[in-house]
Amino acid sequence: MRMATFKPGHWAILGGVVAVALLPLLVTGRYNTNVLLLAGAWAIAALGLTVVLGYAGQISLAQASFFGIGAYAIGLGTVHYGLNWWLAFVLGLVVAVTGGIILGATTLRLGGHYLAMVTIGFQIIFTLVMTNWSALSGGPDGITRIPRPPFFVPLNTAQRYAWFALAATLLVALAVHALRDSRLGRSMRAVRENEIAAEALGVDTVRVKITAFAISAVLGAAGGSIYASGFLYIAPDTFDFGTSVQFLAMVLVGGRESVAGSVLGAGLLTFLPEWLRELKKIYLVVYGSIIVLVIVFMPEGLWGFVTLLSRSLVRPTPIPPARGALPMGGGRPAGEPVLVIENLGKYFGGLKAVDGVSFTVRQGEVHALIGPNGSGKTTILNVISGLYAPSFGEITFLGRSVGGQRASRIARCGMTRTFQNLRLFRELTVWENVLIGAQRAGGDETAIRERAASAIEFMSLTILAHNRARNLPYGTQKRVEIARALAGVPELLLLDEPAAGLTQSEKQDLVEIVQQLHARGLTMLLVEHDMSLVSQLSHHITVINFGRKIAEGAPERVLAEPAVGEAYLGNREAARA
Amino acid sequence: MASIGQILLAGLSLGSVYALTALGFVLIYRATNVVNFAQGEFLMLGAYFLFTFVEGAKLNYGVAAVIAIGMLGVFGLLFALGIYYPLRNRSFLPVIIATIGASIMFQNGALAIWGSSPERLRPVLEIGGSGGVTLGGVFFNYQYVIILAVTLVLMAVQYAFFEFTLLGKKTQAISQDKDMARLLGIPVTGMIALTFMYSTVLGGLAGMLVAPIFFLQHNMGSIPGLKAFSASIIGGFGDVRGAIVGGLALGVLESFGGAFISTVYKDAFAFLLVIIFLLVRPQGFFGEKVGEKA
Amino acid sequence: MRRRARFLIAIVAGLAVFTASRGAAQMGGPIKIGQLLPMTGNFASSLKMQRQGAELAVEEVNKAGGIKGRMLQLVREDDKSTDPGAVQAFQKLIEDKEMVAVIGSIRSTQILAMLPTINEAQIPVMIGGTNFSLTHQGSRWVFRHRPHDGFSAQVMVKFVVEELKKNKIAIVHTSDGFGNGGRDEVIKGLKARQMEPVVVKAINTGDKDYTAVVTAVKNSGADALVTYFTSTSDLAIFATQAKQQGLLPQMTWIGSPSITTTDAAKLAGDALVGTYGIGDYDPTGNPAAQAFQVAYKTKFNEDTDLFSAWTYDAVHNLATAMTRAPDLKPDSIRAAILAIKKRMGAENEYNFDERGDGLDHYYILRNEGGTWKVLKAVHVERY
Repeated sequence: MRMATFKPGHWAILGGVVAVALLPLLVTGRYNTNVLLLAGAWAIAALGLTVVLGYAGQISLAQASFFGIGAYAIGLGTVHYGLNWWLAFVLGLVVAVTGGIILGATTLRLGGHYLAMVTIGFQIIFTLVMTNWSALSGGPDGITRIPRPPFFVPLNTAQRYAWFALAATLLVALAVHALRDSRLGRSMRAVRENEIAAEALGVDTVRVKITAFAISAVLGAAGGSIYASGFLYIAPDTFDFGTSVQFLAMVLVGGRESVAGSVLGAGLLTFLPEWLRELKKIYLVVYGSIIVLVIVFMPEGLWGFVTLLSRSLVRPTPIPPARGALPMGGGRPAGEPVLVIENLGKYFGGLKAVDGVSFTVRQGEVHALIGPNGSGKTTILNVISGLYAPSFGEITFLGRSVGGQRASRIARCGMTRTFQNLRLFRELTVWENVLIGAQRAGGDETAIRERAASAIEFMSLTILAHNRARNLPYGTQKRVEIARALAGVPELLLLDEPAAGLTQSEKQDLVEIVQQLHARGLTMLLVEHDMSLVSQLSHHITVINFGRKIAEGAPERVLAEPAVGEAYLGNREAARA
Repeated sequence: MASIGQILLAGLSLGSVYALTALGFVLIYRATNVVNFAQGEFLMLGAYFLFTFVEGAKLNYGVAAVIAIGMLGVFGLLFALGIYYPLRNRSFLPVIIATIGASIMFQNGALAIWGSSPERLRPVLEIGGSGGVTLGGVFFNYQYVIILAVTLVLMAVQYAFFEFTLLGKKTQAISQDKDMARLLGIPVTGMIALTFMYSTVLGGLAGMLVAPIFFLQHNMGSIPGLKAFSASIIGGFGDVRGAIVGGLALGVLESFGGAFISTVYKDAFAFLLVIIFLLVRPQGFFGEKVGEKA
Repeated sequence: MRRRARFLIAIVAGLAVFTASRGAAQMGGPIKIGQLLPMTGNFASSLKMQRQGAELAVEEVNKAGGIKGRMLQLVREDDKSTDPGAVQAFQKLIEDKEMVAVIGSIRSTQILAMLPTINEAQIPVMIGGTNFSLTHQGSRWVFRHRPHDGFSAQVMVKFVVEELKKNKIAIVHTSDGFGNGGRDEVIKGLKARQMEPVVVKAINTGDKDYTAVVTAVKNSGADALVTYFTSTSDLAIFATQAKQQGLLPQMTWIGSPSITTTDAAKLAGDALVGTYGIGDYDPTGNPAAQAFQVAYKTKFNEDTDLFSAWTYDAVHNLATAMTRAPDLKPDSIRAAILAIKKRMGAENEYNFDERGDGLDHYYILRNEGGTWKVLKAVHVERY
């Protein structure tokens, strides 16, 4: 019984502790011990990149500058200003967090290559300032005779300090690993996989990205502090662009999404040049080609390669059983307005995509928004859910004016949605996708897991829970999207063409699902092309054409109106319905 | 006044080197969405190839240049096959790291082959002793004039190529949608290989032209490579005109920053302005703002 | 019982023979000297010269019978041109317990980085870095084979101000440990003569355009320019642009030793004609240097320069010390090095002082038609 509770995670921790205890004993000589503690310091900074790059998917080529901030905090603090080591350490973290937040804030506007450029610029400016502002940094000569931190036992030998450094590495590794499946970690990975979907599910993507950069900066600085006291000397040219590139290479070679990968990558890329020393002149040629080969042949890094080989051996832990039925929002008397749209408009330059539309969605009803292709339905949905800011008009949701607010804010008020073109978190499992959706409604981890489990059960996805979303068939992926939205217990669910691309039997399943949800009192706004579906499901229809409302009312009545028929050019479908 | 002129000219000269290197960046990016951080090494290789034939084999300058360009083309093909092709379906990050790995390889390979001493290559034009002419108190280096001219001509040719020729249109089609291009019967793989070859030649050409000014060293390409990347970002990534304007702007910024702010902080100044510029105008000079459709 | 005893005796005897032979091998085996070299990275340009200088000296020592009947052997490690690289390479070298001394770096920042490790290791390190502070931090284990920057600045200021009668001095320097140190010493030298530099400009290693610096110097009204360039290619590019933009003929330029290197002559060509330089090494400077030049040219078919000269001298001084020392313990070698007086090396005459500084001279040279001619050797007072 006891043994059964000893999970793989515990074995990993035990292995880590044993490694930390043994490595400094096994590695002999001052030189190798130094390389070892260097590997530890670098691994900590590389783990920072695991967070910002691996989890949140944001590129950073400035990690060496945070490493430098930590190192200089120790060097300047202890040597120049005589501060206590730990005080200097904390000050370094504070400066690094500030820098990380500034860098993270640029992601508000920039991503991809542009972000790469900004981080490169940050890095280059840092190196130049530290080299040339001698009054601040001690200049290019650097700072020497840096002390070791005061600790419970004196860390006066390289071996003892190596223990200290590796223990710190292990702690950071465990923390970063724990972060991965925490609420914040899941939000980060959601941002990486699909920013728009994350935002629409209530994840404050800006805050998440800035937090990721801040954590990464803190870990960079912590690594730098440990480096400074290990090396006893620092100079600006250690913290240059080349070092940032090396951090990035460590994470990518090791495997960017896993803690073990980053540690492995840091260890390998620290020791590799030392092992290759014998090759003398061409060792960097070999080093470069090894990087290329790993990237080419092991897409998920060395660790990804290892897990690929061992995947069949490790069984995923089953998801918790759903307790009770899927909770539903509501609690308002039927017929009360949930969403009120008044004179809503959205112009793209000269294009009037939506031009003065008004309608009201009431508690408990299935409200359908229909219209021919390009009539502006999806644009309306995007404005309501906050992905676009309205050009004019009012949107009132549950009595609050939400027009122009960010999607995550609106989502947190109780509105979730699905997307016309799937926006799943493709690399994550079904279970993780739904967990992220479940986070919207708040509560502790147990509550989140229970909601997610019920949503998965409701959508009959239980046996697929541990499959990656991208490996599922199209129709199943659409079900996962609905489960993800439902797990957040919305007051209003927006369904953007849920039937598009489904087979006839899948459509029938969809009808049943929507009917069940309706029976439980969920309010829904549905954009759909399939008229038979619309007439089966909806209680109220709003018809849009050329960005304007042309008809509204009960299905039978609206679909019979001549204007509606005209709108659908060659209006056979409408007539048949 | 003459010194302002000199500083401006220096900025434009340096900028033209960045611009020429940036052209290669932009071409590869347009065709494949790959950011090639080894572009600076092509510059270094071009310089060393030419040096080997001119100073080593004592060939005629023109003949040597033609042979060097041929070798660069072959090198570009190998690069495309070895680095780009295996990674063609992956996201931009692994590709960036792979090209950085390649650049470490090339730089140190060059160090092993050509040694560590800096070398000198004679300029294309050797009229008079100074390598240039002084007009109105401003010194015009012939070599820089040639670089600027070559850059502008290449830009015009490339612009015309993309806008007016079938081959250029095909290249554009590839960058927009590879599968569609394949369906239209465009030999995608071949076209991409061709783009890599041409970009390598462009980078190498930049190296051949700057070698007489910067001298040859195994690490001579890393700074121009980084600056060229910045230049193409400022210009609006993937825009040929943008690469030129971005390169020249960066050169001028650096030059005036050096003259009026600080010689050691001139790069910091240039990068700071680039960052601020991007925050105000994230799409660069010519880039189009692409909204993501929900 | 007896069998066991015989067995034990056999083992003990075997062990004794084994240890004895090992000891003998150690006695007759080579004496290992480590050498840090920038095999890769930004400063790899000086690799070949530094390697060959030491190589030649080792060959000479060994041809002459070695030291105490043992041959010298060089063990080289790459310092990657970086500070951590130097520290790691140094640690790697001293890991080998047979390593008796290390020929360290010519770059001051690397030596600063290594100092804590050197002091801990307590092994003689021959250095070529010229930053003033290296021998003034109380380390017992570094021995400098070049005159330090305090001297170079003194010599330059004295020559420019007192002999060339210039009084408006501009300073251009690389922004690193070497350049900043030189700048400070020049300013100190000027202050001692109640003068101030008219303009001071710093550059970063790897800069390709010096128009701003040239313009500033030109506009400052300076009549003499003192430079401290770390990198020879930077110096060559600066020289070319200074000449093209009309700075040079109007101004007297005196540069720190990098101006007199062969690479500078190769790269900058006639742009350096008419300039002054100071150098701690000149192939024609003294008989020992002339002999070195001949031997080096014969072996490598190249000319000597300061990079090859200092490692050449370092090996020879070390060999001299080891020959004179009673044994090869670090303390004995140290005492023997400090006892070296009036030994003429390729650089100049070595007189080691307590701090570990061996030299106190500088040559003043003038570039006449592309070749450097020694005007005179200046010895300054030590500090």
